[in-house]
Amino acid sequence: MGGLKPVRVWDLPVRLGHWLLAGGFILAWLTGDSEEWRLIHVYAGSAAMAVALFRVGWGFIGSHHARFSSFVRGPAAALAYLKSLGSLSPRHYTGHNPAGGLAILGLLALAIATGASGWLAYQELYGDWVASLHESLSHLLLALIALHLAGVAAGSLAHGENLVRAMITGRKQGATADDIRHSRPLAAVVLLVWVVAASWWLAQ
Amino acid sequence: MKFPAICILLAAAIPGIALAETPQQILQSHVAEAARQTPGFSPSAQRGQEFFGKKFGASEKMPACSTCHTDNPAQAGRHIITKKNIKPLAPAANAERFTDVAKVEKWFRRNCKEVVDRECSAAEKADFIQYLIEVR
Repeated sequence: MGGLKPVRVWDLPVRLGHWLLAGGFILAWLTGDSEEWRLIHVYAGSAAMAVALFRVGWGFIGSHHARFSSFVRGPAAALAYLKSLGSLSPRHYTGHNPAGGLAILGLLALAIATGASGWLAYQELYGDWVASLHESLSHLLLALIALHLAGVAAGSLAHGENLVRAMITGRKQGATADDIRHSRPLAAVVLLVWVVAASWWLAQ
Repeated sequence: MKFPAICILLAAAIPGIALAETPQQILQSHVAEAARQTPGFSPSAQRGQEFFGKKFGASEKMPACSTCHTDNPAQAGRHIITKKNIKPLAPAANAERFTDVAKVEKWFRRNCKEVVDRECSAAEKADFIQYLIEVR
């Protein structure tokens, strides 16, 4: 870790969005089969989808490490990174590593697709197949979350860096030049308002 | 030469074309299962109706089937939580009901767990379907 010190990496919308998405998914997953909790399921799933939609936009206009252009690399880079994890000197990235970056794309896509199919099923716009699709997508999403958690654990161990804490504090090991300097609290307020408004509208 | 192979393929594919079940067929499979557990079992619409209206109390907001499906399953129901309309359960009023065994079992599993607080027995399901087939 020569020359590296804790710097600000994840802005507030990234962190708040991450935990809202995680919480929304957990709540929606637990209430999926219940009619008594149906409204909670719909609100939680809608909120999760709203966060994912916001995150896509934030991937273009957010702070440096939040942008897709800073962390989306090809599958070859992801493989090379995963291989380096097994070595004595795993390659460290200040922002997302290439494998984590791919997982994020998959998680966002699945969160949006699961939410959209759930909304279609709730509106009863198509047949029963939409509800089946919604269930299948939610299972895929759960599987990818498991992979994501395994990656977080592996990355944390390999780099001696608590990545869960980093998603709370926003700080990771990095060069001073990588510091985002501003955590964009105003955008986090916009995110909150958007999530409340979008989930209220979607649950109608 | 390929004709027999095509015939075999077609025959194999026919069950996959989802030959929809009838409510009678779905009823009979539950009757057969109930009779295995209780020899001499015969489905009763009367018992089915009692089950349909019984307040199990496992769920405070949804004590009975009839909470959402109303006292007359030949009429549209209303979801007590979401206030959404529910199409009639009785095949006489809604021909789609009890024609897809996977869907039937899925909803028995989910709703029994929530309203009755356990899985429903084959006998209870048979009585339930018998009642719904007869109700007008």
